[in-house]
Amino acid sequence: MAAQVSGKPAESAREAVPVATVQTESARWSGDLVPTLVVVALLVLAIQVGSAFLPPYVMPQPLIILQATWEVLTADPIHIGITGLRLAAAVLFSMLVGVLLGIIMGVFPRLRPYLRSLVIIDTGIPALSWMLLAIFWFRDPEVRIFFILSVILIPFYALNVFDGIRALPREWVDMLESFRPRRWQVLRYLIAPHIVPYILTTTKAVIGYAIRMAIFAELVASAIGIGSRMSLAQSTFRIDKVLAWTLLLVILNLALQAAIASIDKALLKWRPEAAVR
Amino acid sequence: MSAAGNPVIELRDVRKAFGSNVVIERLDFDVGKGEIVALLGQTGSGKSTVLNIVMGTIPADAGSVRVAGSDPYRQFARLRGKLAVSFQTDRLLPWRTAVENAEIGLLVLGMPKAKARQVARTWLDRVKLTGAGDLYPHQLSGGMRQRVSLARALCVDPELVLLDESFSQLDHVTSQTLRADFASIAREFNKTCLFVTHRIDDAMEMADRVLVLRPGAGIALEEGIDASIRSSLQRRSALHDKIAAVMGAEA
Ligand SMILES: Nc1ncnc2c1ncn2[C@@H]1O[C@H](COP(=O)(O)OP(=O)(O)OP(=O)(O)O)[C@@H](O)[C@H]1O
Ligand SMILES: [Mg+2]
Repeated sequence: MAAQVSGKPAESAREAVPVATVQTESARWSGDLVPTLVVVALLVLAIQVGSAFLPPYVMPQPLIILQATWEVLTADPIHIGITGLRLAAAVLFSMLVGVLLGIIMGVFPRLRPYLRSLVIIDTGIPALSWMLLAIFWFRDPEVRIFFILSVILIPFYALNVFDGIRALPREWVDMLESFRPRRWQVLRYLIAPHIVPYILTTTKAVIGYAIRMAIFAELVASAIGIGSRMSLAQSTFRIDKVLAWTLLLVILNLALQAAIASIDKALLKWRPEAAVR
Repeated sequence: MSAAGNPVIELRDVRKAFGSNVVIERLDFDVGKGEIVALLGQTGSGKSTVLNIVMGTIPADAGSVRVAGSDPYRQFARLRGKLAVSFQTDRLLPWRTAVENAEIGLLVLGMPKAKARQVARTWLDRVKLTGAGDLYPHQLSGGMRQRVSLARALCVDPELVLLDESFSQLDHVTSQTLRADFASIAREFNKTCLFVTHRIDDAMEMADRVLVLRPGAGIALEEGIDASIRSSLQRRSALHDKIAAVMGAEA
């Protein structure tokens, strides 16, 4: 048969709705704008109050943090760019490799158990082990960071894409196969569009984690990038700069989430908005 | 009863069991070129299983199955372009608009995109969906979705059309118009058609010939239907009762 996609017997399956019919991230965000602002205002207030009672090397005033943020932004934009590039390269690479692995697992039943074990063993290895190993194995800091991020991120994509393919309704496969498609046509018309939501959901889920790991990796393995700047700020007792970088990282995370949400909206416009009440 | 030449579908002594559950045994029937044949049977009598065997999704355990001269399971790819199926549920892909769903068979068969789009639009017009082509499945009603799925099957211009209870889930009026539309299209384009249903009225309305499938056995009854039967209330209801008795249930 043209494609052996794993699946349960078709007989009982009703017309299946794609699994990920959750309300889009962006819709949720716009609704959360006011509460978010309230929380931010309260945090600023707390820092202001705290700074009145605590010495400045423990809790600087919000205005000082803002100044430090400006300083960091004007003096060190290159480091933000470097971290961003490292992140983008590793996430895109992991997406590519992970999606390929997931598809291979989903489409070639004979390779599946081997790849699955490999991926699952990988997920069991702590990120810290990878970081230390990377330092032993590679000299070049770029290679180290790329390696660390990739080995951590690839399994997420592989497993989610595999799950996506498993959730592919047998009914759709039979429908397409009734036209006798070639193997690549099953991939092109059925599997590829079906796994797009899974890829996006995975990216949304891992992006925050990926940022944290990138910073960590930079801290241990590199002299440039946000992580290394934070380490420098710490060793020069500049808590205002540590907090400034932290603020920038939070903003970076939010900006990336928003960017993914808008890609999501553009790519998944076919999906009915399911409002859960 | 079947037209001259080789039958399009030919089943000989076919058997199919799932584990110890023997669903089909000693099943023999032919469908000739241009014929519209209804396969009737109770729930669980194995109608969908027969259809799956004919479309090549599952193999028969024993016996011979020929569809357009090939074994539909073992020579799966040989039926490329020769057969289309309208399933019990519409099975539209949610990320494709109505016209994109309708054209998918044409794209699989290698028709250039622009041409496929044009043919698909023509068929959407034929199933009375003019203007709905750019809507996504979730924006269509159940009846409209079923029409798209019918257009998807018909627009590849197959030698053989298989229908699985395609109209039985719709309301009475919709299913009646859809049935009439389908029958007239099938006759106009001289399609061979095997359709499966548990509704005796559907079968008598559309088919040239009715086969009644009995669980675990073969064809228990075979009746030709013509205009004279359809137009005579008395003969119609007599036949209805006879079929119902063989099926073992009122439909
Ligand atoms: N993949 C399968 N695995 C196991 N048993 C199956 C499978 N497919 C069908 N069966 C069994 O075969 C029998 C006939 O099923 P089938 O779907 O062909 O019936 P049907 O005539 O189409 O019924 P309905 O009118 O309800 O659609 C049932 O008893 C069912 O449990
Ligand atoms: Mg059935």
